[in-house]
Amino acid sequence: MWRVLGSSPSADKTWKVFWCRGRGQNISRVMPREMGPDGAPGQVVPWRKVLWEHQPFPDNYVDRRFLEELRRNEGIRQYRYWAVVKEAGFVGQQLSSVAIFITLWLYMEQGLLSPERLLLTCLLSTLLGYGLHQTLTPLTKSGCELRTRLADLQSATIFLSFTFGFSPVLKTLTESVSTDTVYAMSAVMLLAHLVSFPYAHPSPPGSLSLNAALFASVCLASRLPGALHTFAMLSCALLVFALWPCLLQRLREYAPNQFTGLCVAVCVGGVVGLASQSPGGAVLLALALGTVTLFCPLLLVRLQRHKDNIHGPWDEAEIHEELGHILHS
Amino acid sequence: MHQRQRAGALKKSSSQKCPEAPADNFRGSTKKHSICMVSDFFYPNMGGVESHIYQLSQCLIEKGHKVVVVTHAYGRRKGVRYLTNGLKVYYLPLQVMYNQSTATTCFHSLPLMRCVFVRERITVVHAHSSFSAMAHDSLFHAKTMGLNTVFTDHSLFGFADVSSVLTNKLLTVSLCDTNHIICVSYTSKENTVLRAALNPEIVSVIPNAVDPTDFTPDPSFRRDDRITIVVISRLVYRKGIDLLGGIIPELCLKYPDLHFLIGGEGPKRIVLEEVREKYQLHDRVRLLGALEHKDVRGVLVQGHIFLNTSLTEAFCMAIVEGASCGLQVVSTRVGGIPEVLPEELITLCEPTVRSLCAGLETVIARQRVGSLPPPESIHSRVRTLYTWRNVAERTEKVYDRVSTEEVLPLDRRLLRLRSHCGPVAGSVFAFMAVLDFLFLLLLQWLVPDRVMDVAVDATGPRSMWGQGSSIKLNATKGAANPDLFGE
Amino acid sequence: MEDESFTDISGKPVSLDCRNHSNFCREFTVSSAKISIGKVLAYTCCVWLLAYAVFWVTENTAVLSSAILITLVGMTLHIHFVKVDHESLLVIGSLGIQVSSSYASGRETTTFIEMNKIKDIVINEAIYMQQIIYYLCVLLKDPSDPEGASSVVPLFQSSKPRLDCLVKVYKSCQEILSKC
Repeated sequence: MWRVLGSSPSADKTWKVFWCRGRGQNISRVMPREMGPDGAPGQVVPWRKVLWEHQPFPDNYVDRRFLEELRRNEGIRQYRYWAVVKEAGFVGQQLSSVAIFITLWLYMEQGLLSPERLLLTCLLSTLLGYGLHQTLTPLTKSGCELRTRLADLQSATIFLSFTFGFSPVLKTLTESVSTDTVYAMSAVMLLAHLVSFPYAHPSPPGSLSLNAALFASVCLASRLPGALHTFAMLSCALLVFALWPCLLQRLREYAPNQFTGLCVAVCVGGVVGLASQSPGGAVLLALALGTVTLFCPLLLVRLQRHKDNIHGPWDEAEIHEELGHILHS
Repeated sequence: MHQRQRAGALKKSSSQKCPEAPADNFRGSTKKHSICMVSDFFYPNMGGVESHIYQLSQCLIEKGHKVVVVTHAYGRRKGVRYLTNGLKVYYLPLQVMYNQSTATTCFHSLPLMRCVFVRERITVVHAHSSFSAMAHDSLFHAKTMGLNTVFTDHSLFGFADVSSVLTNKLLTVSLCDTNHIICVSYTSKENTVLRAALNPEIVSVIPNAVDPTDFTPDPSFRRDDRITIVVISRLVYRKGIDLLGGIIPELCLKYPDLHFLIGGEGPKRIVLEEVREKYQLHDRVRLLGALEHKDVRGVLVQGHIFLNTSLTEAFCMAIVEGASCGLQVVSTRVGGIPEVLPEELITLCEPTVRSLCAGLETVIARQRVGSLPPPESIHSRVRTLYTWRNVAERTEKVYDRVSTEEVLPLDRRLLRLRSHCGPVAGSVFAFMAVLDFLFLLLLQWLVPDRVMDVAVDATGPRSMWGQGSSIKLNATKGAANPDLFGE
Repeated sequence: MEDESFTDISGKPVSLDCRNHSNFCREFTVSSAKISIGKVLAYTCCVWLLAYAVFWVTENTAVLSSAILITLVGMTLHIHFVKVDHESLLVIGSLGIQVSSSYASGRETTTFIEMNKIKDIVINEAIYMQQIIYYLCVLLKDPSDPEGASSVVPLFQSSKPRLDCLVKVYKSCQEILSKC
């Protein structure tokens, strides 16, 4: 219906078409009709875009220079598909990390994985990751002072001893809450973690995202059979949700090729791991990963050419200069 | 159909009443209109839109038109009030939502607005400001009732973010069957035409005005041992106060005799205070806080240079006021500002600290050698540029043109909404228009138009104001003048 | 002595009765239509039918008896406190103004305002419900400021006649007020 109406030659429709299509050449084609009755004096005195001069034109006069300062799609970014896929791989990787964590928890709950083994694996991978992190951190990093190994060891000890001490408490923390509620809460919190995760600058992960993830892991860990299980699960959570993103960020900065490979590995690992416990879940995860890393970038690249952003003198000016130094130098 | 008949009847009655009017009312156009100005923003609230409506109304009253203003209740100020020269103001009790703008449901304001339109025999509804929900409501209801409408846009919008996409869509719907739109500058016209997808022929450019008698120069207030830069604006981000915070230390370090006089209040005051604190400029940068309109001139005449750092501006009244007081104006080149003053009266800079400083330095250098034009000559140049009488004359032409136009009947209005505003929004608002029409029919059945008393005119051809009429209009008549700035 | 018919703000007929007791004493009575039996029956029927419907569902006879009680009490309250048959305004030059209203039940309320407290009688506009109406009111003097008005007493509050009626009352009131 509206298509039929759209083809009717109403004046404003022409205009809409006009400014949608562009500027410059089209103006002369549209203008003569617009200028019709009041364009006559225009040949004698050129119209000027000023208000302080009383010009011999009616107030609703439309000059051929109307909208000449209109600019479209200024500073637009052209995306290449595989570059976007690479970036999206990070999102898929995070999704997979959560799946891996859940898989580990499922193993623990069914007694297929002993807490000692998990702790040992965690310790080994932490040491490995720490070493990698240290080698990747440039020694001459300006600005913030480097943390010493002693400080790192200190905070790790404090954290581990506190978690170990409190794990019996954490174990009984949600005893009075129904299991369904705990699961629902964990699911919501993990979702919140994924949504609020700062994918652009993941090091260190944002406080909301990290807190949501740790809350979820406390909830899940409290449903495990023993206090040592809880402790192992929480240490593992810390490894997956706090330390792993830091390491990944380093990798992304200094070893982009390995970073991509790692992302793929984590994605595959997540799907395979989940498949061993719940094949349906694995299919869903694979679908989600496919959507996020392959389909969404395709959509972004395809829809990009429909982008039609208008700029002109009416835009609010942006302050580009760094004015902070005036106050805080 | 019914709507059009009624509109026709109104026109007939207004042409009948013309011969009764005194002959001196027939300067310029012969047709007298009954105009209803609608906006959320009116006195006692203060600002550009408020004074625009007030001054325009006064000049239209002077030309013999009947003008009433409709706004929402401000605190205890509800009901009907009269201002100077019988300008009647309806303060309708509608709920205020945010920033003095009323909540809108598209319907709830219809009964009261219909009552005003009918009892005042309104022929043209003139809504102001795209921030005002009440203005949009009135445009919608006026079309339902078959009245002609005019809209004045006072602000600029971008196109880039979600909120502006939404507000622009609403504006498209709202202005889709508005007869004529008035913008305050050519930039504003371009902006509005793009935002609301309008035919540029129905958009007129009529600038704002200032009262030149309020802003006269007086160099005796200037101190000759120093150069004073005056800034008068609300201290908010959009006015570029961050830029000002960068300019002050840079220039103050360079010129020891430079002083800043800053009038206005707002959240960015803290920036200026920090700068003043850090660079120990307490004696050279004075923050005067919020200024009343009558005190502005007293501040302006103390300065040599007027600085405006706005980041966006449809039409900058402040620079005209500054120039009218004989100051040399330095301003950012944004929005409609380049159109406002001739090149010799204004120095335009890019909105950066460096460019503004360079512009100010050239003006300071010219001030030192005395090559700037004297304040009196600047004033005489500016005083005739923007007058309210001129604005009223040009607005009158818009009313003349609009009053001859036909109001779309409901079926064509629906088609227009759907063809103009897109299939989704168009259909939604076409549905709203139908509901509004049904609501109007219900109201007309509950309280028919003939039962409503026709209001006694205070302005226009049948004015009872100040003629010693047999009926006293209102208890507040005697107290009308002090009422304006009271409370 | 005359009896004219006007309408009130919702279009229902009211009548204005002006009595000239003397040159300085005039009485205006606005009478609205009497309560109609048909309307009372209609309301009663509505309430009872509703009650019967509820009774059909709940099978509780208390509903029926309470419906009877509600209609009876409601009617009594309505004619005693709400429904005003006549409102009168007695203006006695140099003495004052007496405002009285008589309810359908026969109850009457009367207020008297001394002349030295009265500043003027005017017609004013107000927003009433979803309408803007004219009403007649007495302005009272402010004891501290003889020029200002401290408060207003609206007249004919229940019958709410339209402007033409108000103008008539206003003009004859002003005649008397200007004499004294």
